[in-house]
Amino acid sequence: MAGNPFSLAGKTILVTGASSGLGRQTAVSCARMGATVVLSARDEQRLSQTMDMLRQAHPGVAGEAPHKSVRADLNVAEDMHALVEQAGKIDGVFHGAGIRGLAPIKMISRKFLDEVMGTNFHAPMLLTQRLLMKNALRDGGSIVFMASTAAHRGVHGVGIYSASKAALIAAVRCLALEQAKRRIRANCLSADLVETPLLTYGLTEEEGKAWLQEQRDKHPLGLGTPDDVANAAIYLLSGASRWVTGTTILMDGGITF
Amino acid sequence: MSGGPFAADHNDERRARAANGTVSGEPFNPFSLAGRTVLVTGASSGIGRQTAITCAAMGATVVATGRDAARLAETCAALEGQDQRGHRGIAADMAESDGLARVAEEAGVIDGLVNCAGITVMAPFRMTSEKYIRRIHGINFDAPILLTQKLLAGKRIANGASLVYVTSTTAHIGTFATGIYAASKGALIPALRALALEVGAKQKIRANCISPGYVQTPMLDALNAGTASIEANYDLAPLGLGQPEDVANAAVFLLSDASRWITRSTLMVDGGLTVHVSL
Repeated sequence: MAGNPFSLAGKTILVTGASSGLGRQTAVSCARMGATVVLSARDEQRLSQTMDMLRQAHPGVAGEAPHKSVRADLNVAEDMHALVEQAGKIDGVFHGAGIRGLAPIKMISRKFLDEVMGTNFHAPMLLTQRLLMKNALRDGGSIVFMASTAAHRGVHGVGIYSASKAALIAAVRCLALEQAKRRIRANCLSADLVETPLLTYGLTEEEGKAWLQEQRDKHPLGLGTPDDVANAAIYLLSGASRWVTGTTILMDGGITF
Repeated sequence: MSGGPFAADHNDERRARAANGTVSGEPFNPFSLAGRTVLVTGASSGIGRQTAITCAAMGATVVATGRDAARLAETCAALEGQDQRGHRGIAADMAESDGLARVAEEAGVIDGLVNCAGITVMAPFRMTSEKYIRRIHGINFDAPILLTQKLLAGKRIANGASLVYVTSTTAHIGTFATGIYAASKGALIPALRALALEVGAKQKIRANCISPGYVQTPMLDALNAGTASIEANYDLAPLGLGQPEDVANAAVFLLSDASRWITRSTLMVDGGLTVHVSL
C-alpha cells in the first residue's frame, strides 16, 4: 500500500484539548498515521499521560522533530501566544478543546454565555487567527474544528452550546474562502454522542447506564467512539481531502429523531 | 445474520481486524480496504475508473462494471494486485434490465459499493421531454436504486458493508439547464437515507452520498464540447477544478472502517464551491 493518501507522515499537527476524549484519541491516531504532534491542554498531568500514549503509539521519526506538549489555557491570550510560538511551523490543527454547556435558555446568564462561547468559539477562532497571522500554517495546511450535531438539530437544554458550534460552521465557510489562495483548508466535524467518560457526568451510575442505553437505541449504529472522530479528523488533515474545504462532515450513527 | 452464506464470515474477519487496528504485517491504517470486495459502477472512465484504481491500491478486491468493454478492460489492467486478488470486470449496460440483473448476479458478495455510473446532458426546462427525463433518471436514479435492491434481495451485501453513491453539488444548488440531472441525483439522497435506516441497526450496512463539484473527467470535457461552455464556473470553487482522485479518496474514507459511524450523510467534495450558496 505504497503512497497511502491518508498518511500524515512528514506533517506536524497541533491538537488542542489533547488531555482527554476526542482530542487525546485524535493526537494518538495522528501519531500512528506518522504525524509529529504538538499537544495542548490545560491539565498538565493528563497532558503528560497523553504524551506517554503518543510515544508508545509512534515514537517519532529519527531526524525529525519529536512530539511536543504545551500546557495552555486557550482563554488566556499569553498562553495561546506561547503555544503558537512553541508549536513552530505546522501542517494542520485539530481544535479539540471544548466544553459542554447544559442550561435551558430560561436559565442562562451572561457569565454562562461568555464561558461557553469563549471556550467553544472565541478560543478556536483566536488561535486560528494567531496561527495565520504568524504564518505558522504551511501552504496546503488543514484546519479542523470540532462542531456538533447539536448545531444541526434541536436538543433540549443545549441552546448556547449549539449556537457556539453553529458559529464555527458558519465561520468555516468564510475562512475557507479567505485561505484558498494558499490552499489552506478549513472544515468542521459534527459528531453526535460519543462515548467519553464525561458523557454521564453528574448522573448516578444507574441513571447513567439507563440514559446511555436509551441513547444507544436511538442510533442505528450506536454511539460514536473517540476513534471514529479521530479517523474523520485524519481524513480532513491528510492529503486525501485536499479538495474538501468549507464543509462539515456529519457523523451521527444514523440517528433520525 | 442475514447477509447471505458468506456474509457472516466476511464480517467476523473484518471486525477482528478492526478491533486489532491493523492487518497483520501492515502499518496502522484505518482506511485500509484489505480483505474487502468493492463493486464500482461506471468504472470505464472518469471518477469510476479512478475509484476502482484507488480501491485496489488500498487493498480491495474490485469488481468493476461499465458499458464500454474495451475501456473497462483498460481499467482492470490498471488495478494493483490482480495476481493476488483477482479483480473482475463485468461489461454491462445497467440502463437495461438484463445488464442490471447480470451485474447483481455476477458481483458475488460485496463489502462495498460505489455507484459512479451516471450521465449528464444539459437542457433548459423548455427543451426537456419525457424521453429525456426518463433517460437521465433511468441511468442516474433507477439503475443504482434497482442495483441496490437486487443486491439486497439476493443477499449479496455483507453485514457491515458500506454503500456510496456519487451525486452532484448541483443536486443541492440547482444550476442553469441542469434541472433534470440535478433532480435525478438529488433523489438519491433521501432514498438512501431511508435505506440506511432499514439496513442500519441489524445489518450495520451504511449508505452515504458524495456530492462532487466540477471534476476533471471525460464527462466534463464532453459538456464543454457542447454549445454551453461551463469553464467559467470552475473558478467559482475556491480550490478550482478537482481531480478524480479527490472523489476516489472520499469514497475510500466512506468505504473503510474509518467512517464506521457515518451513515445517511452526504459529503461535499467540491473545492469549496458550495460555500457560496445558502443551503
